[in-house]
Amino acid sequence: MTTALCQHVAETIGQLYDCAEINNGFIRIRTPYLYPDGDIIDLYWKEKDGQQILTDLGETLRWLDGQTANQKLSKRQTQALEDIRLTHGIELYRGTLTLRIPSDASLADGLTRLAQAALRTADLWFLSRTRTTSSITDDVAEFLSEKRIRFEQDQTLLGRSGRALKIDFQTWHPRRTSFVEVLSTGSKAAANQKANNVLATWYDLSQYKVSDQPIRFVSLFDDTLDVWSSENFSLLQEFSDIAYWSRPDEFAELLVA
Amino acid sequence: MLTQAEFDQILDDPSKRIDGDITWTNSNNTLWSQFRADIITSSDHDLFIQGSYNPVIPALSYILIYPAAGCRIYGLDLGKDHRNPDGRLVGETHKHSWTETFRDKQAYAPPDITAPASNPVEVWQQFCQEARITHNGIMAPPSDSQLDLFL
Repeated sequence: MTTALCQHVAETIGQLYDCAEINNGFIRIRTPYLYPDGDIIDLYWKEKDGQQILTDLGETLRWLDGQTANQKLSKRQTQALEDIRLTHGIELYRGTLTLRIPSDASLADGLTRLAQAALRTADLWFLSRTRTTSSITDDVAEFLSEKRIRFEQDQTLLGRSGRALKIDFQTWHPRRTSFVEVLSTGSKAAANQKANNVLATWYDLSQYKVSDQPIRFVSLFDDTLDVWSSENFSLLQEFSDIAYWSRPDEFAELLVA
Repeated sequence: MLTQAEFDQILDDPSKRIDGDITWTNSNNTLWSQFRADIITSSDHDLFIQGSYNPVIPALSYILIYPAAGCRIYGLDLGKDHRNPDGRLVGETHKHSWTETFRDKQAYAPPDITAPASNPVEVWQQFCQEARITHNGIMAPPSDSQLDLFL
């Protein structure tokens, strides 16, 4: 039975791969594997000067690039990609995942390694902060926990106007209490509106700044996306301290200073 | 979670527009070129569109991203096949469209996209028409220098 099963596997697994010639002498190998959205993973083979090369021609990172508002990989994603590169022995070249196949190695082994690397790389999407709306505030919450800064999330406060205002974080430290508003958007078109909304919040809460124990207002910009203008920063600088998510340690120092 | 009604409203909104020319760039020296453009609407929806083009295959994508949902809600792909959650292959020209059940995993073969992946400008015009986006500007084709191969 085991022999028959193994023979069946040996005879049928290859049928899941489909080959076709495309441009520039590449052979496209259509694999049975899928990117997280259901798109099929294609790999491309070429031989030049006796060297076999297997590559995704950049499709995996192009796919990843198209899924979120982020235009570059985060530090965590970059570290994970480096781990994938090491584990599977692949090369990153001009955004491609590439594998040189030695003459004594099997193409099947190379195909499996590169396909697995492509799958793992595509899954870096799950580490993307802009994948869900709440994930940036989740990341900030995680960071505050790591720094052992006490906080409450989504605090509702009463503004001078009588409106109930929700702020992203209220933090406590022996030296200082702070309110933190997180500004994050993937679009320049929405950036001004976000900044205006936070300004209105700070203005409405300004009574908290003039008490005996004034509360620090912090506007935390998600500057991993290039959507903010200098006007956005200067607008909020008058009413709050500015922090940048690309420099989290400076943000933490602000909360405990 | 983006509801079906909200998605339908975004897609049907005829006020979606892009002002200005679109230029493909290749800032990271990748094989593919890309661009990003903000979409202006008369509603409050914060949207942008992203294009990417890999001339070697060729493969082309135009993707509508809704940051409030945190992901792509609509997109056209040319140059690679797609398998729907029910297991059916859709074809190398397919459109992803948001559904509450499958998010952006469900795709269909769009009859209105007839231009090939090797002609990003014509595909763009066809895409904008179906997605009800007015582009007040010009899209220049990706430059030849981006067609360099590494082999």
